[in-house]
Amino acid sequence: MRGRFSPFDRSERSSSVMFRATLDEEEEDVEEEPTHLNTNTSSLYLVVSTDKLTARYTGDGRHGNDVGAIQANRPAPCRRLLYYFEMTVKDRGEKGYTAIGFTDEHFKNSRQPGWEVNSYGYHGDDGKLYHGQGRGEPYGQGFTTGDTVGAGINYAAQEIFFTRNGKVLSGVYKDVKSALYPTIGLHSPDEKVEVNFGQRKFVFDVETMMLEERGRRQRAVENMPLPPAASHSIVRAFLLHYGYHDTLTAFDAACGAASADGSVDSIALGEFLPKQEANGVNGTIVTNGTSDDDMYALDQRKMLRRLIRDGNVDGVIINLQEWYPQVKEEHYSTIIFLLRCQKFIELVRTGQVEDAVALARTELASFFGKCQDQDLLLHDCLALLAYERPQDSPMAYLLQFAQREVVADAVNAFVLDTNPSMACIGKDGKPPQSALEKLLRQLTACHVEKRFLNGGQGEVFRLHRILQGGKDGGW
Amino acid sequence: MSMVHIGMMQSSSKKVITKEEWEKKLSEVKIRKEDMNRLVMNFLVTEGYVEAAEKFQHESGTQPDIDLGTITDRMAVRKAVQCGQVEDAIEKVNDLNPEILDTNPQLFFHLQQQRLIELIRAGKVEEALEFAQEELAPRGEENHAFLEELERTVALLAFDDASTCPVKEVKELLDNAQRQKTASELNAAILTSQSHEKDPKLPSLLKMLIWAQNQLDEKASYPRINDLVNATLEEPVT
Repeated sequence: MRGRFSPFDRSERSSSVMFRATLDEEEEDVEEEPTHLNTNTSSLYLVVSTDKLTARYTGDGRHGNDVGAIQANRPAPCRRLLYYFEMTVKDRGEKGYTAIGFTDEHFKNSRQPGWEVNSYGYHGDDGKLYHGQGRGEPYGQGFTTGDTVGAGINYAAQEIFFTRNGKVLSGVYKDVKSALYPTIGLHSPDEKVEVNFGQRKFVFDVETMMLEERGRRQRAVENMPLPPAASHSIVRAFLLHYGYHDTLTAFDAACGAASADGSVDSIALGEFLPKQEANGVNGTIVTNGTSDDDMYALDQRKMLRRLIRDGNVDGVIINLQEWYPQVKEEHYSTIIFLLRCQKFIELVRTGQVEDAVALARTELASFFGKCQDQDLLLHDCLALLAYERPQDSPMAYLLQFAQREVVADAVNAFVLDTNPSMACIGKDGKPPQSALEKLLRQLTACHVEKRFLNGGQGEVFRLHRILQGGKDGGW
Repeated sequence: MSMVHIGMMQSSSKKVITKEEWEKKLSEVKIRKEDMNRLVMNFLVTEGYVEAAEKFQHESGTQPDIDLGTITDRMAVRKAVQCGQVEDAIEKVNDLNPEILDTNPQLFFHLQQQRLIELIRAGKVEEALEFAQEELAPRGEENHAFLEELERTVALLAFDDASTCPVKEVKELLDNAQRQKTASELNAAILTSQSHEKDPKLPSLLKMLIWAQNQLDEKASYPRINDLVNATLEEPVT
């Protein structure tokens, strides 16, 4: 019902990550799988059973254009590691001209899979592999009545593979990048086959193949050489960047204590001191990799973060205006806006509703209609007033700690942005990022790009899921 | 023939992505702050920085993925091994969860081996001999690998001053790294018993980054990050 009063739909909401603690908005990525044969694509020479899983050839099989071929109802799903389906020959008929494979959308139902361009087929009579021409290459054994054969796509390796009675045959490079449909073909009287799109257990152990593929990838990842103590340095720089001062002190103390013990970790840390820090920053000896930029205004940032954490928004505003007079400028109005919203939230939290209303009238109303992201936050803030128990309302996320984190991070970024040395580098208005953030962006971008260059096929890399999930979130 | 030719063309002509294009792609990636917080918390917890983890929970509002109290116990066990107090460590582990050693014969053997090493280090020759024969030898009979380890360790007794031992594999048993190795094995077993991964996620993600970059190298030329600590973007190689 809320939707009626809200001018914003869900997709617009998800765009304003920067201003608000993120709502859970995991994108759906369940792909529909082939489930049965598509009788709309069926050849004239086939009779398909009512469950659309069995096909029988009714033609004469006299020439090259009276094949009985048929596709599955959907293309093989591609946002995954592997796709696989099977076919069992119920009756080889007169000549055993049954075939299994993949075809694209230009498929001809009167031709065997593999004969036409952009198609692949494994043929029962000669056991050959056909790809885009009428002549096959030696591949595996033929198959006949009682045999089960399968066809699969390994998206990680970009390969097509076939199986025969549970044994995998070699993979061939998949040069066709467009969508491929599971396809079968029959071509002599009385031939009858049954397909299995996963409704029943496969004869071939596709799960194990998947595990092996993942295992190979995991071992390859584990074998990558990592500079010792890289994680320590990155964590330390992160704590500095965001001004988590107490954590940083405890972390340094623990690392320093470790070095007194002469433990392996701290020896490694010493070796990897970037040059400029061997001399220390500001006369103090730092224990590992940090840049001056990470140190910038640490005391101020630390204090501002603490004030926000404690709900003291006025304190933040006063300090900011004293330390950074430019905060009053139009360019920086978003930070003031965020802080005022936060103040409003803190008032609602403590039940000072009348003060909250007064604040909204004097200081928030003027921000309406300036930008969409701001309007979204304003809308949700004000909506808190509509509920007797705002902590149980749909806007309850605003009252959680995470929203204070959002504001604290924004204030932190604002202060870092005032660093003159950063300005000289010319960061074209981008918010400063911690090394950890840059690395995670790079990691995601590499996966996205590689997948793009593979024609958008293969598993979608989801950092969030890896971080949330078990050991490796599927990776 | 023509097919082969096309194949070669594909592999040799790599797509070039300029730094500007790449930076745009990077800026389109959504990274949640809370995910980064969780990653840092996971590192602090797994590596046993209990105080830092407590502070971080307070400062960032990030919930640790394990009871912080168990870290203190785990670190006490680890420290005991690192200081050569193996008996003490065994006692502490058994207090924590007796199943850890019961279900992990290899770990238990390594702890006993470490205990033997400490006895030899302390010059308690008779005690070391007795311990080796009574506690370790029976286990060596059950397992050939254990027996070899035992023989290697006992070889230390042949030297009045083990630092003069010419055999590297024997001498290194007295190194600090040997204690670290045993301590890490024990640490990992405790974490596993608490249904927690034994390794922090951050180093795996860093390895994954190197791997992903190498994979993409095969298909495109783009700005890599080679210096992980400073996360600097290199110019694409063309």
